[in-house]
Amino acid sequence: MPTIPGTPRRAPRTRPTPGRILRNTTLVVISLVWALPTWLLLVNAMVPAADYGGAPHWWPQGFGLFDNMSQAWTKADLGPSMGNSLLYAVTSAAAAIVVATTAAFATVIMPVKHKTLWFWLIYSGTLLPLQVFLRPLFLAYADTGLYDAQFGLFLVYVAIAIPFAYFIMRNFALTLAPEIIEAARMDGASWWRVFWQIHVPLSRSAMVAAFVFQFVAVWNDLLFGITLSTSKNIRPVMAALAELQGNYSNVGPPVVLGGALLVSLPTVVLFFSAQRFFVSSLKLHG
Amino acid sequence: MSSSLDQRKPPLPGPRTSSKPGPADSPPPRRSARRLRDRLAGAGFLAPAVLLVSTLLLLPFATTVYRSFFDDRRVSGFAGLDNYALFLNDPVLTRSIQNTLMWVVGTVVLPLLLGLAIAVLTHGGGWSRAARLVVVLPYALSGSAVAVVWNFVLTTDGAANQALRAFGMDAFAQGWLLEWPGNTLVMILANTWQSAGVAVILFLVGLQTIPPETLEAASLDGASGWRRFWFVVLPQLRTVSVIVVGISLVNGLKSFDLIWVLTQGGPGRESETLAVSMYQETFLALHPGAGAAVAVVLTTIVLFTSWLYLRRQLTPKGN
Repeated sequence: MPTIPGTPRRAPRTRPTPGRILRNTTLVVISLVWALPTWLLLVNAMVPAADYGGAPHWWPQGFGLFDNMSQAWTKADLGPSMGNSLLYAVTSAAAAIVVATTAAFATVIMPVKHKTLWFWLIYSGTLLPLQVFLRPLFLAYADTGLYDAQFGLFLVYVAIAIPFAYFIMRNFALTLAPEIIEAARMDGASWWRVFWQIHVPLSRSAMVAAFVFQFVAVWNDLLFGITLSTSKNIRPVMAALAELQGNYSNVGPPVVLGGALLVSLPTVVLFFSAQRFFVSSLKLHG
Repeated sequence: MSSSLDQRKPPLPGPRTSSKPGPADSPPPRRSARRLRDRLAGAGFLAPAVLLVSTLLLLPFATTVYRSFFDDRRVSGFAGLDNYALFLNDPVLTRSIQNTLMWVVGTVVLPLLLGLAIAVLTHGGGWSRAARLVVVLPYALSGSAVAVVWNFVLTTDGAANQALRAFGMDAFAQGWLLEWPGNTLVMILANTWQSAGVAVILFLVGLQTIPPETLEAASLDGASGWRRFWFVVLPQLRTVSVIVVGISLVNGLKSFDLIWVLTQGGPGRESETLAVSMYQETFLALHPGAGAAVAVVLTTIVLFTSWLYLRRQLTPKGN
């Protein structure tokens, strides 16, 4: 058991009481347990695939990380699928945010009737589990040529992303002061102009937060990927990773783990670069 | 409290409507023309979202509900509730229900307790930030990537068994993913490893909204440590707890990727949850009627649980 690394230095009164020792020990134990799978992932993704003898490594040995990643990239076709997922994630998240923001603008700021009805109609999409959409979509896609097509996946990702993006954008719109918009309307600006020149600039931070959420959701999707596409040049990245995992014994653990690490990098980077921003946007209003 | 958390509240629909300067007062003709134009513009702004959601989500949903009342013979006929009766007599589906219940309990209790503990322990800052980072990191991974990592740990010649043997506990080494109910339990643990991070973040936000005065007052009254936590901090975290429970519950119910990549619901369809059973029945066993019934049951459970926690939020004294 490691001892407690350094008592907090800022306050001289914090002397190691039994309670404090217990607390710090608990924390160290929890974080060690939590770090273990991550550690194993990193270490074994770095072991050169050729040197891997069949038993997991607990300490780094050699450095084959980039080799493993490039094997996963080419042999397991992670490359094209990462390109696809990037395309789907960026375009569909962006489209969904725009659509959701206009809808939020309409239901919060414009004099539209039946606001509650529209709210629940759009919002209900996040409450339903994805499974409930699968087969009808699959059949309809097969009939219309959208099956195994990039546009088909784009479309379904947009639709899936709208409800939650709408939820975020609507909550944000409720916090905006109505006076600005009213003043602009008094001056005779059209709704279209008010939306693009006033509402969108004001909502930018919430739009970015919603975009990040939806980007991650689309990037991480597996279910639609395996249901609505099959070709290697159409399917998204998690479908390719699942197949790579299916070939676990052929390609060897280092390549599979290297692949998992590779496909996780975009979301991990995004998550941690946006984390500060997330927390502040959670705290911002009110 | 909870300025920030109000954002996650299911918005009380349309509180703005009433506060709008009512267009009801005596409309002269010019204003009513303008009102019509406003109405049209509003429809234009709403249309894309409403159309996309209705055609790609709500219509398929209705189709699935409809399909669940028809059987899976060559020429499908009306079957009433036969597909739903499968939950009573099909061993695969009863097992799936059992597993789903285990997932529900596991995904509520573990992230709630661990998330709360970690948030409280790391709230102080300092080096404990590193500990928090370690716990939050897996949340940034996808379910599929988490499954790959845990397969490496849990497979028969994987890291877990190797470690057990190294410590001389050969008796405990086993095929973690091969036997029920062990496989479901370890997958719930893997899921917790990933998803506790979001509970930690939410609890930290909740802790930051606690007014420091209440803590000072408690200290002045002589309450410290455990008692202060139990009587002062915890009651003020109720709203956050409800949100954490709701989110974990719904995520647990919807959990698909992890199970699919780790076991595909197997071996022998023993580790399926409803989310996986639906996929198996529909696309692999080619029983679309049964699959639709599973999807409808899953939807009902998810809606019911969402309603439970949304309703709590909607009560005036929700916090």
